[in-house]
Amino acid sequence: MEIELGGDSAMDRTRMSRRRFCQLAGSSLVFAPLLTRAQMPSTSGLTAREVVARIHKNVGVPWRTPTADEFKTGDPDAPITGITTTFMSTLDLLQRSVAAGNNFVITHEPTFWSAADVVSGLRDDPLYDYKLNFIEKNRIVIWRFHDHWHAHRPDGIFTGWNKTMGWEKYAVPAENPFSHEYVIPETSLEDLSRDMQTKLNLRSLRIVGDPKLRITRVGHAGHYIQQCMQVLPKVDALIVFECREWEGAEYVRDAIALGQKKALIQMPHEGGEEAGMDQCARWLRTFVTEVPIKFIPSGDPFWMPA
Amino acid sequence: MISAQQLLERIQKNVRVPWQSQRSDGFSDGVLAGSDDATVTGVVTSFAPTIAVLRRAVASGKNTVICREAPFYSRGERAPLFWRNGPAPSKEMLDNDPVCRAKQEFISQNNLVIIRLVDNWDARKSDGQLRGLARALGWEQFHIAPENGSPPYHPDNVYFSLPQTSLNSLAANTREKLKIRCPRVIGDPASGVQKVALTHGLLLVADAERILREPGVDVVIAGDAVEWEAAPYFQDLVAAKRAKGLLLIGQETSEEPGSGEMAEWLKSFIGEVPIEWIPAGEPFWRLS
Repeated sequence: MEIELGGDSAMDRTRMSRRRFCQLAGSSLVFAPLLTRAQMPSTSGLTAREVVARIHKNVGVPWRTPTADEFKTGDPDAPITGITTTFMSTLDLLQRSVAAGNNFVITHEPTFWSAADVVSGLRDDPLYDYKLNFIEKNRIVIWRFHDHWHAHRPDGIFTGWNKTMGWEKYAVPAENPFSHEYVIPETSLEDLSRDMQTKLNLRSLRIVGDPKLRITRVGHAGHYIQQCMQVLPKVDALIVFECREWEGAEYVRDAIALGQKKALIQMPHEGGEEAGMDQCARWLRTFVTEVPIKFIPSGDPFWMPA
Repeated sequence: MISAQQLLERIQKNVRVPWQSQRSDGFSDGVLAGSDDATVTGVVTSFAPTIAVLRRAVASGKNTVICREAPFYSRGERAPLFWRNGPAPSKEMLDNDPVCRAKQEFISQNNLVIIRLVDNWDARKSDGQLRGLARALGWEQFHIAPENGSPPYHPDNVYFSLPQTSLNSLAANTREKLKIRCPRVIGDPASGVQKVALTHGLLLVADAERILREPGVDVVIAGDAVEWEAAPYFQDLVAAKRAKGLLLIGQETSEEPGSGEMAEWLKSFIGEVPIEWIPAGEPFWRLS
């Protein structure tokens, strides 16, 4: 996701955070008699804020504002029990993180269902209350790591994707940091799709093009029609995620109707970015050693009926 | 003889809502490609003016295509960000793009007229898109009658009471009825479902919140959802046991039957030329 954040959203976030921080700072003084490991701070006393400070130092690019990369819930100054990295801090993921004993969640995508985690419109939403209650009860600190993980050179998300696919050796050096193209051993569209489905653990791949089409050049085209137009002439198959159907899919099917030998593979969003948070866990371990660090996949949200 | 302009005027008169010609978001309804003065030889309705749809229109002697999507894969400069679509390509980019250039040539050579009809069609008191989709599913008898006396298929009345089934069976049945390959589902396949909200197009979180104020809704059906917005919202609803799931049937699939409704509606006041619904079809296939 590469949506730029507006000033209003940033202000909204700040307001939310202050209110939440006050509440949470108060509630963390009251200890329940029985504590899970997620509620028991490690002896190191390491805090989420200290981890984030190390990320600032190690990410290798100047910190920019406004940014989505901020604390979303919890007390950043409380000692943490362990770190979970993930693509999306869904409720299910948070439950699994607590079960794994980690109360600091570093998520690539939002917690409250909008790019800037704007919660002002969610005050009356019972689901928001439910999720926030779970977070508070388990003293989960959530910090988003999106903009600067993409800004890291090379882009941390694509480093992870290439590694999970085993495609590091096929990457074509690119001028545009958002362009990621590959020359792979010749295969068919169907076999390529199956390989991606297996390696990225996907259930909801959607494909445009002839299954038997021979493919050697493949390129990520992000989310948008402009990227599709820029990359398609250079490759046999586009890989997209979170690309609206009336942009990428309609464009490529017209290209095919006009006789071009092209294809499009549409992944769930997670398929494009989750591996990058596995990479994030590996990277964090190089400078955070006091607490356990675990990548927990939030997973392909979808299944398809037989 | 009827011109494209006269066709539009006839539509404006019959749509029976104040015509919105200057919507701030994206394209307004009207002629997107071709000439207002062109003589209409026949009308095709479709979700999108794909190359395949345009060829079939030409082959059947019809030069006017009325659709929801634009010919060049973008909803325009002013399309709202909440659709999470990309910025519109520049004119230079379109002029240099081989697909767009070939499509533009095909449109010009065949004197095609492409008309967008979305905002005004959707503003009617009875939602033609919803009705088309309900009919395609064979669900008319399950539509819950509104208590406030609003007309059938009023845009707020999206609820259907189905015979008790499982989420998996609902998804499989929907797939079969709509003849599609790639419906995507969130939720436990085994969970029991009965009350369904049927919507079309892109589902936003605000839509989901409004729809779920109705008690007892198990499943929402929509065309598509942003995967950091309404999709995880439903993952969380399911984890919190507040709903059973979300069934995404695809943008085209969810809107296409409405183009069939539109064709029937157009026939009720246009008699001069043939009118035909040509579905663009689901763009995707999946691995078996």
